Amino acid sequence: MTGGQIAGTATSPSALPAVPLQETVLLPERLGGLTGLDGFGLGGELLATFLAAFIVGSLMLAMTGVAGPWAKRKITAAFTDRIAVNRLGPAGLFIILADSVRLLSKELVIPENADRPAYDLAPIVVASSALLGFAVIPMGSGIHLADPEVGLAYVFAVSGIASLGLVMAGYASSNKYSLLGGLRAVAQNIAYEIPLVITGMSIVIFAGTLQMGEIVSAQAKPLLTVAGVSVPSWYALVNPFAFVLFLVANFAEVGRNPFDTPEAPTEIVAGYQTEYSSVYFVLIYLGEFLHIFLGGAIIATIFLGGPAGPGPAALGIVWFIIKIWAVFFATQWLRSAVPRVRIDQLIEIGWKGLLVLSFANLVLTAAIVGLIA
Amino acid sequence: MSTGLEREPSVEVTEGDLEALIGDRALARDDHLNAPGFVIRPDDVQDVLTDLRDEAGFDHLANLTAQQYPDRYESIYHLRKYADPTQEVSIVVPTTTDEPVSQTAEPVFRTADWHEREAFDLVGIDYEGHPDPRRILLPETWQGHPLSEGYDQEKPQLVTLTEHANPVQPDHHDDESDTMFLNIGPHHPATHGVLHIETVLDGETVVDVDPDIGYLHRCEEQMCQNGTYRHQIMPYPDRWDYVSAGLLNEWAYARTAEDLADIDVPEYAQVIRTMGAELCRIASHMLALATFALDVYGDFTAIFQYGMRDREVVQDILEDLTGQRLMFNYFRLGGVAWDLPEPREEFIEKTRDFLDGLPAKVDEYHDLLTANEIFQIRTHDTGILEPEVAKQYGCTGPVARGSGIDYDIRRDDPYGYYDNLEWDVVTEDGCDNYSRVLVRMQEVEESAKIIEQCLDLLEDWPEDERTVQSNVPRTLKPDADTEIYRSVEGAKGELGIYIRADGTDKPGRFKIRSPCFHNLSALPELSEGEYVPDLIASLGSLDIVLGEVDR
Repeated sequence: MTGGQIAGTATSPSALPAVPLQETVLLPERLGGLTGLDGFGLGGELLATFLAAFIVGSLMLAMTGVAGPWAKRKITAAFTDRIAVNRLGPAGLFIILADSVRLLSKELVIPENADRPAYDLAPIVVASSALLGFAVIPMGSGIHLADPEVGLAYVFAVSGIASLGLVMAGYASSNKYSLLGGLRAVAQNIAYEIPLVITGMSIVIFAGTLQMGEIVSAQAKPLLTVAGVSVPSWYALVNPFAFVLFLVANFAEVGRNPFDTPEAPTEIVAGYQTEYSSVYFVLIYLGEFLHIFLGGAIIATIFLGGPAGPGPAALGIVWFIIKIWAVFFATQWLRSAVPRVRIDQLIEIGWKGLLVLSFANLVLTAAIVGLIA
Repeated sequence: MSTGLEREPSVEVTEGDLEALIGDRALARDDHLNAPGFVIRPDDVQDVLTDLRDEAGFDHLANLTAQQYPDRYESIYHLRKYADPTQEVSIVVPTTTDEPVSQTAEPVFRTADWHEREAFDLVGIDYEGHPDPRRILLPETWQGHPLSEGYDQEKPQLVTLTEHANPVQPDHHDDESDTMFLNIGPHHPATHGVLHIETVLDGETVVDVDPDIGYLHRCEEQMCQNGTYRHQIMPYPDRWDYVSAGLLNEWAYARTAEDLADIDVPEYAQVIRTMGAELCRIASHMLALATFALDVYGDFTAIFQYGMRDREVVQDILEDLTGQRLMFNYFRLGGVAWDLPEPREEFIEKTRDFLDGLPAKVDEYHDLLTANEIFQIRTHDTGILEPEVAKQYGCTGPVARGSGIDYDIRRDDPYGYYDNLEWDVVTEDGCDNYSRVLVRMQEVEESAKIIEQCLDLLEDWPEDERTVQSNVPRTLKPDADTEIYRSVEGAKGELGIYIRADGTDKPGRFKIRSPCFHNLSALPELSEGEYVPDLIASLGSLDIVLGEVDR
């Protein structure tokens, strides 16, 4: 099934080195040039980098700000025959403001027996691990902070840190539900991170590089042309099987239905976040949304051609955000419509199903790419 | 499967057989309106009940009523047969006031466990050999027994601070083992009210479950004892299973009181009652389905909202009929409060519209819910309740029918207009959570059939024969010492009421047999050895309403 499609693109992996590597200008450098900061030596460079990181971070946080209090409600409401927020502002958009005031002004309740440094650090770890990941994502329109050669490995590594945060939160809260949630989170993340990374590796075999920028430009070539419309060789089209595997593993990784067992509101109250309130709660919640968006960003980058889309290249960021939101929308859809699997079934699906399939995909991809090369 | 006679008839046990079986263990006769009653010695309880169960087939301990007379305590075991609930026998066990000790029936019927705890709690009878002689509805620190003679309601309950420790404080099971003690509830997203489940976990596996009830105890029985038969009791049943089953509950009281005081109900009123009750059943099952989906899905998802949306239509119809959305107070002794709302055609059309749209909605539920593979792996073979175990716990309603027990009071002990209508009793043999959901979904369709037929009847009913109430005396004073136990098929199962008249216009003893009470008591059987998520799903599939459990 996938073999045919891969064979159809026989030229792409072998032709890859022939494509002239586009010399991309990263955002910090561009900012440095624009503001003249690069004239100030190392200090100026640092400042420009910080500025660039600030812009990307703010963009992502703004997106979660829209997603959490507003979009999530509206999407769920549409699925469940309701209206949701509509009192404040057009389509209830100002609820974002009201909610941020509400959430931030709540009392921070810390359990008596909480393990203090860990309890306080956990929300920060959860939120920041996701933000770190965005550093290497090419978002189009020149928004790209860094493009190290180990880009993809770096993204998986930093997003994996979140598991540590979840364990810290679960353990340090001194609450049995939190503990159960923390344990579930670890078990789940271990079970699904491996298929996730292995499926990612099959893309690396195609692209021949871990560098995010390269992976994106490798997808720019046309896969086939039908009636004058050329279809790009996005890896989701080249290897849909890997795409589905990655999507599923990603839903488990970010803990969304049908894999939201670590939180499982009806079973273990709220899992690892049961004891968190006020700003800490916001941070954890933020972290979750950031992870969904990071998951979306990874999927967009390695499967959906990154910022590629019709129109001028300057529109890249728009296409990129649309792709991220499509993944976010999918998580909300699943949340409304699909039941949650039990923890033992979840582990079983991970280890006995996804892992085997992702290895099969890897071996098959390697064999086919090797044959063609 | 139908209202007819296909079921294999159970052997009729005559009074003579019973007399022979019990023999000289019967000290006297104390017949009730519904059943022959035999008085036995307090230490013969297990003997007699075992004989009745094994020799005569009385496998259903429907209810246990405890009460105090000036000169004695009395426990009444109401026995019936799952195969034929019209065959009944009451075993009356008196004990002295000085030493109210009676043998426990728990080894014969598991359900006696909770019932005897309640009898001890509220009336004060001790059951010898009871495995777990704790209070059940009131706190352990309660002083006195509220339904016993001479209980002083005015006396404040003085409890020392140390005794009044936080009941959810204990946080471990025992120091030696690796298990973890976990309080699920009284405030937890999945307990459907204020239920406290003391759970012992081994990892994610449930080792021990002990439901702790009583948080919603509102003295319903005593309130009914303080109301007059004619008008003051009818509003209370609405508040037992308060979510949507109001008319079904009212019917339980109406049926019992009408049989007690020998009141006729006009046929026309019976049709309206039947229709109203089935509307309530649909609303109640919709809610059960919605909340079960909530438990399995984990969020306020599509199914939950669809369930609420469709239930809303039923609520509207019921509001048109009764003037109320939940606490209907629509039934009267001898009929119903008033006729269908005017214009009749409009009401009938509105109800028909709902019924016409129902099959499509049920299909939608099947698409979303029962056809979903994840839902199937979550619910198949989880929360197993074997039929024999279900009978031991006195389970009834969809819970029993999901275990393949073909038991439905509407057909087996007919009342209202059910006998004249075409409909089926739904059973499933899976014994698991999935079967219970399936039974409820199919019962919604059966109820729709019943309503359809009722509407046809109501539409064509001659205008001058539309009597909604018979003539009932303003004050009802049934003869002293008449006793009766009657039940109807409520939303959750057999909802029964025992009334003892004491010659006044208020009941001497009013005892509610709550189906949820029995069904919940079987929870440990469903969930021990399974995972926490299955415990939650099983609890949801039992469809309990704490208002009815605690009364």
